[in-house]
Amino acid sequence: MALLTPYSKVPELNTATVLLVENEEELQSKLANAIVQYEKDFNVNVRLARKLPLPVENKETRPRIDLIVFIVNLLSERSLQSVESSLAHLHSDCFLGKVCFLVTDARCGSHTQERLVSVRKLAASHQCPVICAEHRTADGVNAAAVRLLNILKVTAGMSPIATTALYLSSLTRCSVTSDLEED
Amino acid sequence: MTPTPSKQTEMEQDIQSSQSSEAAAKAVLLEECEQQFGLLQKLQNEIILADTEANDDQTNEAVNRLIAVTSELEQWQEMEPKLLTTSPEVLLAVGKEELQRLNGQLKMVLSCSQAKLDAQKKILKREQTWQAEKKEALNAVCEKITRLQSENEKSEHSVLQDMKKKINNLKDYHSSLMEMLSDMLAEHFPLPDPQGNGTKKKRAAAYDAEINLISLSEIIERLTNKTLETPHDPYVTTDDTFWPPYTEMLLRNGIATRHPEDCNKIRLENFF
Repeated sequence: MALLTPYSKVPELNTATVLLVENEEELQSKLANAIVQYEKDFNVNVRLARKLPLPVENKETRPRIDLIVFIVNLLSERSLQSVESSLAHLHSDCFLGKVCFLVTDARCGSHTQERLVSVRKLAASHQCPVICAEHRTADGVNAAAVRLLNILKVTAGMSPIATTALYLSSLTRCSVTSDLEED
Repeated sequence: MTPTPSKQTEMEQDIQSSQSSEAAAKAVLLEECEQQFGLLQKLQNEIILADTEANDDQTNEAVNRLIAVTSELEQWQEMEPKLLTTSPEVLLAVGKEELQRLNGQLKMVLSCSQAKLDAQKKILKREQTWQAEKKEALNAVCEKITRLQSENEKSEHSVLQDMKKKINNLKDYHSSLMEMLSDMLAEHFPLPDPQGNGTKKKRAAAYDAEINLISLSEIIERLTNKTLETPHDPYVTTDDTFWPPYTEMLLRNGIATRHPEDCNKIRLENFF
């Protein structure tokens, strides 16, 4: 089984790579553009995928991936399901700070609330952060891009010595409070 | 003024020396980078070897995390802080950059915390006014409760006394009303004066027979007494002692009504 492993390749100089995984492919391209626009200090490679496992053909040319972002659209059930099936293809070492969940449309109705709860439980079980984003306006996309860049900097090792990806994920991981569990 | 040649050479020498020290600093940094990269390659190879040897079979994530965190902790404990390089220019540039970035971040933190503080102050003020209102309401209610309690704790004697007071008040009121009524009737509805009506021939004949006319107050008194004492038969027979204009006035103003069958009987009209 070809798992996506975090440390199997040498990182490139002054470069960070982020993988955006989204079933619907709505937000991916917009977010990718915003990310690349915002970052001037170092190179950012943004790779897009619909789901894991990634195609085997690119395996050699693909650089080391620093951050994997799962984009979940709360309005469709399939989005969450594809993310759950993709999680199985990740090496468990990835969850030590290299995985992040991004949810959109978190305010649009009652079904979205239930799905948000399940996403949060999933993230809490893997101890990864959850970011809520608003993808319909340019401002929302930019804000999400900035937040992802902050996390990316840490996971790629670009921030000062004391901050490691593991440490950041311990700080920002999603926690499920008892209110949510009662829901 | 063009600088003298000696100064010019001095400046050139300065520039050259600074350039050379810059180049030296750069060389030192590059050297460091190369070393670190070599170390990285070595570690990477070790990791790849380890990966291929022991293929991970999905051990528990929590255990993984625990192992990772403890090993990181050990690393931090062992590590000693060391300077990036001893070249002062590099340190200066790096230090400046870091401090500026830190300055910007701290300014953001400051404005954010001030905004939060203002919001909290507003909330505090609002809650305080709310609390003051509720306290006032509470005080008023407590006062009312104590007042009611003290009122409820009256003894029989005080109840009797209150009753007596009320009865006396009512009696006084009743007597004052009666006085006023009689005064008014006497003033505005006097008995017809035998001399007041001009000299008509009828006069003498009429008034000789009705010389014992009763006043309006007397008529009203008779009516009320009959009604109160014998409610089953409140009718008073009109006779010659009743001056007709007064009875007519009472009838027309709705104070009295005739008996439906007998036109000589009148009674006090119902009042509510």
